[in-house]
Amino acid sequence: MPLETEARAEIRSLISDLEPDDGKLLDALHRVQHRYGYLSNEALEVIAEHLKMFPSHVYGAASFYDEYRFDPPASTTIRWCSGPACRLENSNGIRDAMLAVFDLKELGDRTNDNQVEMINGQCNGACELAPLIWIEKQIEHKRDVVGKLSVTKAIELARAISNGEYIEEGHETAF
Amino acid sequence: MANISRKDTKLHSETLNIEDSYTNIRENADLVYSEWRNPIRPRIDVAIDTSSLANGALAIKRELVKLVAERNAVLDVSQNHGYGMQWLNPLVTITWPDGTSIVYGPVKLGNIPDIIDEAINRSGAALHLGIGLLSGDHSSLVNLREHTFFKNEPGERRLIKRIGFTNPDSIDHYIGTRGWSSFARILYRGMTPDDVRQELLDGGLGGRGGGGFPAGMKWNFLAGASDSEHYMVCNADEGDPGAWVNRVILEGDPHLLLEGMAIAAYATGSQRGFIYIRDEYPLGVERVRNAIKQAEEKGLLGSNILGSQFSFQLEVVRGAGSYVCGEETGLLSSIQGQRGQPRIRPPFPAQAGVFMKPSNVNNVETFSHVPLVLQNGSSWYKEYGTEAMRGTRLFSFSGDIPYTGFMELPFGTPMKDVLESCGGVNPGEKLVAIQSGGPLGSLVPASALPNLTLENSSFVPYDAMMGSGGIVWVSDRTHLIILNEYISEFVEEESCGRCTTCHGGNQRMTEIFRRIMAGNGRREDEFNLKMIDDTLQHSNCVHGQFSPKPMRNLLQHFRHEYDALVVDRKDSTLTIPAMTQFRITNTADRRIEDAVTICPVNAFRGEVGNRSIDDEACIRCGACTEIAPNAIVRESRVDTAQSII
Repeated sequence: MPLETEARAEIRSLISDLEPDDGKLLDALHRVQHRYGYLSNEALEVIAEHLKMFPSHVYGAASFYDEYRFDPPASTTIRWCSGPACRLENSNGIRDAMLAVFDLKELGDRTNDNQVEMINGQCNGACELAPLIWIEKQIEHKRDVVGKLSVTKAIELARAISNGEYIEEGHETAF
Repeated sequence: MANISRKDTKLHSETLNIEDSYTNIRENADLVYSEWRNPIRPRIDVAIDTSSLANGALAIKRELVKLVAERNAVLDVSQNHGYGMQWLNPLVTITWPDGTSIVYGPVKLGNIPDIIDEAINRSGAALHLGIGLLSGDHSSLVNLREHTFFKNEPGERRLIKRIGFTNPDSIDHYIGTRGWSSFARILYRGMTPDDVRQELLDGGLGGRGGGGFPAGMKWNFLAGASDSEHYMVCNADEGDPGAWVNRVILEGDPHLLLEGMAIAAYATGSQRGFIYIRDEYPLGVERVRNAIKQAEEKGLLGSNILGSQFSFQLEVVRGAGSYVCGEETGLLSSIQGQRGQPRIRPPFPAQAGVFMKPSNVNNVETFSHVPLVLQNGSSWYKEYGTEAMRGTRLFSFSGDIPYTGFMELPFGTPMKDVLESCGGVNPGEKLVAIQSGGPLGSLVPASALPNLTLENSSFVPYDAMMGSGGIVWVSDRTHLIILNEYISEFVEEESCGRCTTCHGGNQRMTEIFRRIMAGNGRREDEFNLKMIDDTLQHSNCVHGQFSPKPMRNLLQHFRHEYDALVVDRKDSTLTIPAMTQFRITNTADRRIEDAVTICPVNAFRGEVGNRSIDDEACIRCGACTEIAPNAIVRESRVDTAQSII
């Protein structure tokens, strides 16, 4: 059994009330990711140990779900809404233009300096704002919604983010 | 004889106690709720729901609280849920001591002083933002029920009658509006689980997940299962893009869902329940968890509910971004902490569900209907709807329409009336298709509109389905294959990976769509797409089986558009990147330099006054035509427009 380090103890304290064989794996993963922004190998081990599962099972299950991540998030995450109402408002153009500004090849990529990543987002029914993106600070659990975008506005926004000049609009959501 | 009589007395005293417990809770809640409807001082409620939040409702609420404090105004600030008119968000409701409630929107930060003035002295300062009345009278505003957006709704809302009228975070508001009474009645009348299931069967409640299978019958399977450990599961993994009807209940009236599940648990002998909510609904997770906590505190959930022998533990499982977990057996796997892969049936959930124990899975709306059907009876339930699909259900509308939002509509409402209440398609555009049922649903041609009603059977002649409540109206502004490519990529990404037909088939389908969009369509593509369709039918679950439907609809109903792409390589909508190009038509236009600045890929060549666009570099995002609409055009690309032969 690995040594109990301070980090492991902290991870364990986050999930100490969860019982094995009780449908608690997703909850455990959520709690740990909420605290650290991602799931480290160490965290997966501690979760496995606590819930009496194989680490391979924990990783195998966690990697099935889009929202669990195994690397620290970039400083800013741009979640581009892929929903149908947005597609009808040229959201593809917005995606391609923003990727170009950040010099990224496709969704899921991040800038070399780890400042910005762009990911695929799912429709949550604020379609009156289509086309929209979410600008997130994963570690701080801050999420800003920017809707009714034009391609021009999206490019200006992306440039402001690149230059560290972006100011949140205050359209935050629970996160 | 003596024994039986003693037992009867004991049972009688137990049910009396249950009735007393509920009456106590109810009396207190009635008081709280009547003070909410007729507050001692005016109250301003900010609508807080996912859509309102995205429109800046939290900032509005913060500013309100701040200004009310600064002005020492004799006002309260609280929250409710938006009424359905999402294009007018953020919404604010003022309720005065006489019980009048007026809804205002869209409220900007600058409007808040007016809102406060209006709340204090009813001077009409915010009248220009007034949308309508929730209750009471006003000289120049009408009741919201008369708004054109709601003209197809029943005279009174049924399933979502509390929306706008209550604070979703208050169990007292729920109980004060006859909440938890159906469940309490079952306990204090000493109804058996068989009685409850029979009453529901008599009520005729059909499942709202899509199939319309009678809920009472589904519960019979679980009640009859051999094992004594039973589970009741709610599928709140509403993953269809463009559908957010479950969200309205989770965020707007979570207590209703809990009561429905408690009744279901009682009727099937379930001791434990799970509500599986998708990760994209954090507010729904928060509100449902809060509702569970409040119900436990009141003794309505947990052990020995209201002092009876019945116990039911309910908890929320938050999903983590997987569409296929909305398939009921995928959901069961996910609750257990496995990959969310749908299982191979049999065994069915009623035999082996969560932890391989007998389980029942229903949709959010099905559970939420249960208390209403038991409370109001079968004839009330059947007042609306059609012979095949009774009652009402929630629908969400989006796409190329001016009015985006949700409504509660009777099954069988004509779709053309629905489109009218959404404001028709956007000015200057023509309806081309109706995307219903999400990515596993359909693309129905506009020509079908006169024959379509909000009932699945009217969609069937078009090889289509109505689906789970999300309807997206598609106009002639965007080429349909853009939606097809999106849907195809979506089902590919969200395939669980078990069946090669599904993860491989949808991958091939996406590749073919992308090649067609690149201007390299081939005659054999149609044959290959149809072969993929046939192959996908052999997938294990509905994800694979239904995934080719939108593609099949494209070939069936939009032949002309498909042929134009594959044979003529032309896109009349000018929205497909590889089939279009950008060209400067007026090099003297001063806005061209702004376009040069905005271009994210520096595709402009030449000097000022003599610019041109490098087609190789251009990514066709469209920013330059937004900025210089009179000088730059998007047009069909010449070199792709050659015949396939």
